[in-house]
Amino acid sequence: METGNKYFINGFMNKTVKLNKKLYKLKAICGAVKDFGDLADFKIKKNSNNHYLVELNNIHKEAQDKIVDEFCNYVLYLMKRT
Amino acid sequence: MIKEKLNIKLYPLEAIYGACYVFIDKFYIYFREIDVKNNVVVEMKPKNKLKQGDIEIVRGEFFNELLNYTHRINISKNNKKIREYMVERALFSAIDDDFDGDNDFDDPLGIAVPWEEKYGDG
Repeated sequence: METGNKYFINGFMNKTVKLNKKLYKLKAICGAVKDFGDLADFKIKKNSNNHYLVELNNIHKEAQDKIVDEFCNYVLYLMKRT
Repeated sequence: MIKEKLNIKLYPLEAIYGACYVFIDKFYIYFREIDVKNNVVVEMKPKNKLKQGDIEIVRGEFFNELLNYTHRINISKNNKKIREYMVERALFSAIDDDFDGDNDFDDPLGIAVPWEEKYGDG
């Protein structure tokens, strides 16, 4: 997992998380995106280097510090559960 | 940050997920690249500050959990056929075999033959 591209638009923080396809399951990522939907706007893309790129836009102010960390943990939780 | 390089030939990916899940309440867990030698790098970032001595304890506990989950997975693999057989038998024995139609059963001595069929009408 890598986090990058932290930037602000209109006062809202945006982030991108890179998740390796061999290590993170898409179904779990989609589940986490759905459950975290209130805290940010999510977009999932595939890049050519075997990664899923999860873009987080308009991140809720109170969630800005920890949202990526909690999101990755939640994906792990969903992978373990299924 | 705790960083461990784990070979998935020794520790299956499911075991790594399972072991990491145990620490999810106290750490943020990240899975890095999987390289050509099948090594996965797992990073564990503590949610609260940790002393150096505690880090070693956590590392030890993590490897214990890895061993635990790996062992469970291996046992499950080895017992798979037996478990499937037992479930099949259990389900089969629960089937209601009280049919309305033919009541076929073994009759090696040919006793269950109607009189008329055996001796005719006369």
